[in-house]
Amino acid sequence: MTDYKDIIIDHYKNPRNFGEMDHADVTMDEANASCGDMIQIQVKTQKLKNSKNQRKDDSGLPRFARNDGTEELVIKEMKWRGVGCAISTASASMLSEKVVGMNRADLEKFGEAGIVEMLGGEINPGRMKCATLAYRGLLKIFENNS
Amino acid sequence: MFDVEKVRKDFPILKRKIHGHDLVYLDSGATSQKPESVIKAMDDYYRNTNANIHRGVYELSVESTRLVDEARRKVAEFIGARSEETIFTRNASESLNLVMYSWGRENIHKGEAVLVSRLEHHSNLVPWQELCREKGAELRIIDVDSEGKLVIKTQKFENSKTQNRVFTNNGLTARLGSFEDLIADGKVKLFAVTGASNVLGTLPDVRSMIKMIQSKSPEVTVLVDASQMVPHMKVDVKTLGADFVAFSGHKMLGPTGTGVLWGRKEVLSKMRPFLFGGDMINEVKITGATWADLPSRFEAGTPDIAGIIGLGAAVDYLESLGMDDVRTHEKDLMRYALEKMSVLEAEKLVVLYGPKDVEERGGALAFNVVGVHPHDAAQILDNFGIAVRSGQHCAAPLVTSFGVPAMVRATFYIYNTTDEIDYLIEKIREVPKVFA
Repeated sequence: MTDYKDIIIDHYKNPRNFGEMDHADVTMDEANASCGDMIQIQVKTQKLKNSKNQRKDDSGLPRFARNDGTEELVIKEMKWRGVGCAISTASASMLSEKVVGMNRADLEKFGEAGIVEMLGGEINPGRMKCATLAYRGLLKIFENNS
Repeated sequence: MFDVEKVRKDFPILKRKIHGHDLVYLDSGATSQKPESVIKAMDDYYRNTNANIHRGVYELSVESTRLVDEARRKVAEFIGARSEETIFTRNASESLNLVMYSWGRENIHKGEAVLVSRLEHHSNLVPWQELCREKGAELRIIDVDSEGKLVIKTQKFENSKTQNRVFTNNGLTARLGSFEDLIADGKVKLFAVTGASNVLGTLPDVRSMIKMIQSKSPEVTVLVDASQMVPHMKVDVKTLGADFVAFSGHKMLGPTGTGVLWGRKEVLSKMRPFLFGGDMINEVKITGATWADLPSRFEAGTPDIAGIIGLGAAVDYLESLGMDDVRTHEKDLMRYALEKMSVLEAEKLVVLYGPKDVEERGGALAFNVVGVHPHDAAQILDNFGIAVRSGQHCAAPLVTSFGVPAMVRATFYIYNTTDEIDYLIEKIREVPKVFA
């Protein structure tokens, strides 16, 4: 059935990194106004010096290290909780694994295309708000804390 | 005699396949489908008559003007109104905002109250929140009971918190309570209420509520949001008792971009225009202007001419069916659907919301599939060709009062059949299996 691929059902039924975090660096709430879904995202962050070593990529994602010794904020750990549909739940669950090690540029580069690909390559346009709920929350973390 | 199979043949879109299945369109509450005659009326206009109205002396402009006047007469007669009291807008939201900006800003003052209900669509709630905030007036909201019916009489609940709760936020005071409680002090200056809930189908007894409120506030102005009423049942503004009636054209077989505001002439003629510009003026000088007569005063700029002509054709179509038969057909569908859905409810497969009695209910059926988010349920049903809506249906305070973030909603109209309801029921059974 379209959209409901095994990977989505798996993350929906067994969401990863679901729950509350002790001593989070940032806590962010994000809501989907049209359906009432709410999500709380918590992250631990780390300030890393830009250098080639730290920007080594093991996920196949493009990285944009400046390698100039400046400091940048990187996500070390993410936890989340909330009520949502299968698409928003699976997306938050998968993102919570994907974003470890990402900085703001990585996250922006990941984009909606990255979300769709992560969810199996096909999302009904009417469900993009569900698919990007957690992602929008994560972006705000950098907007407000960088 | 109402013949649904004959009706269906008039709607070209019903021949469409969706994901390989016949389309089962159960979202007429959002917008209805359009019959061939409406599509053709607009097509004919663009092919043969297209010209701007009012300002031309040439043949095409004269014909266009006549077509718009005819459409206005049809719409007016359809609701028992006069043409000059029937204003074309883009949609019901614009009609409601027109009342808020033109009438509300002049007539609502500090210390007065605007009364709405918890059933309201956001378009008949948010404008009044904003007006009350601006004016320092109180917003009063009639609460709903567990069936989604308005709480009329003051009840003594064991938990006193359920009556007359007051909320304040950002300069707005909102009071939630029973109708009787909220009208008792006579401070209500505007009563803006839906005639039929777009989520639960609830049909408040607007006529008797208007009589009750008039006994407490003789000067009260009454606005009925009839968006889910006019397409589905006979509405006569002469007997309704309201001063304003707002509805959209696209929910009653007409094209998108059309809405209507009816207002009593005595009220409309005292109101300032809402939008300024062409067509709504009488005389313009360097330093100012005087306003055109009704209804032009409230129709600035070139209107949606083709849309208005299409709306006229939609009225013709509904008149040919007869609104009493339309209502009977929808009641039959709702009775059938409630009967079938209550079997699923007994099996703990679904939860139903809204009044149990079809006499108190329009054609909206809200439900949830147990354990499945409404967006997921709606998308799985879409895979079977069934179009239902999911979410908060622009009525968040109502939906969340049932303790859920969202609901699935199926809405019925003249082209829906009991076979389609059977098919819906069959496929609702498939929904939980996706996550099993």
